[in-house]
Amino acid sequence: MEELKMRRVDACKTVAPLIAPEDLVVVSIGMVKDDWWNYRPADNAFYSSVLGTVSTVALGLATALPHRRVVAIDSDGGILLNLGVLCTLGAVRPANLTVVVMDNGRYDSTGGHPTHTARNTDLARMAEGAGCLDCATAKDPATLAREFQRMLKDDSFGFLVAKLAAGRHPWTVEQQKPTDGVEDKYQFLRYVEKLEGKIIHSGVGRH
Amino acid sequence: MAVDAEIPAYARAFMDAMKETGVEIVTALPESMLKQVYFLCERDNAIKYIPVASEAEMPGICVGAYFGGKKALMIMENSGIRQACEPIARLSLCHHLPMVMVMSFRGELGEKNWWGHNHAQTMEPILDALRIPYWFVERLDDIKPMLKKAFIHADSSQWPVALAFTGECIDAAYR
Repeated sequence: MEELKMRRVDACKTVAPLIAPEDLVVVSIGMVKDDWWNYRPADNAFYSSVLGTVSTVALGLATALPHRRVVAIDSDGGILLNLGVLCTLGAVRPANLTVVVMDNGRYDSTGGHPTHTARNTDLARMAEGAGCLDCATAKDPATLAREFQRMLKDDSFGFLVAKLAAGRHPWTVEQQKPTDGVEDKYQFLRYVEKLEGKIIHSGVGRH
Repeated sequence: MAVDAEIPAYARAFMDAMKETGVEIVTALPESMLKQVYFLCERDNAIKYIPVASEAEMPGICVGAYFGGKKALMIMENSGIRQACEPIARLSLCHHLPMVMVMSFRGELGEKNWWGHNHAQTMEPILDALRIPYWFVERLDDIKPMLKKAFIHADSSQWPVALAFTGECIDAAYR
């Protein structure tokens, strides 16, 4: 098997600076959380607690805000749990959405057990078969940066698989993003409200 | 496209209710009891219709749309709640994110199909387990006010709301 050198932390370090504050990101609270947070400590990302929903939340967001660039930072485990989303993405092809799959072939958060992508599954080819027209695989930071930038700017749906070496970066507790599901939601929600100049959740009606 | 020459009253009432409520995004796994609604959504220019491969995709889509400030509705048969359980549990119970779901109520009194009964048997216990408040909608005149209120309720509670369509609100063949 080919030896992969790029780590998830390298991939986040590569992709995060290419994202503008006006772009919206959906990522997860898995091990990717702190890799992403350390290179993009901003409120323009929603940290989902759910394996298998990063790309669906991003699809809903991209559909609701077609003028806004949306980026999903998904994972091999996340896509594998909810494979139908590839077909839905291939059917909808949201022009303002780019999905990046951080594919380390591992369930890293649970101890590193191999996923099917460590065996025979190729998610980029599956996405292609599902109707996603622009699919690519990157195995080094230079390719990842080039492909991601192209997909982000080209006004068509892009599906980019970053093939990664296993392993996690040893962030200290101080470097880790503090997280709470409800707080994370409101941070993101209020950020979108400011960005879009509209109230999404006021919480009050007529008393 | 198999749209009935004459649009059945339940489908017309549901479409009108969505329009008046301001629903702009509909995600669904098409099923038989609200069948004409899916055809109508498909050809409606004002609604962005996202059919999915699994009900488990729909909670994320609705939540994403909510973050974008748009009203999104998920529609399925009541069996779909079983498939959508985990993403609902995580997005709503963990993040307090609202979503509005309409499900046709398969397994009503007089159900003719042996496989249809457990849809009804499991729906309410699952909604209760997920702590999702739900209401049955039986009369055509109730669709519009109840759908409107469901969106208000979901937003102010930051929690899901379910409406189970039955009676006049489903295709006549299944009543």
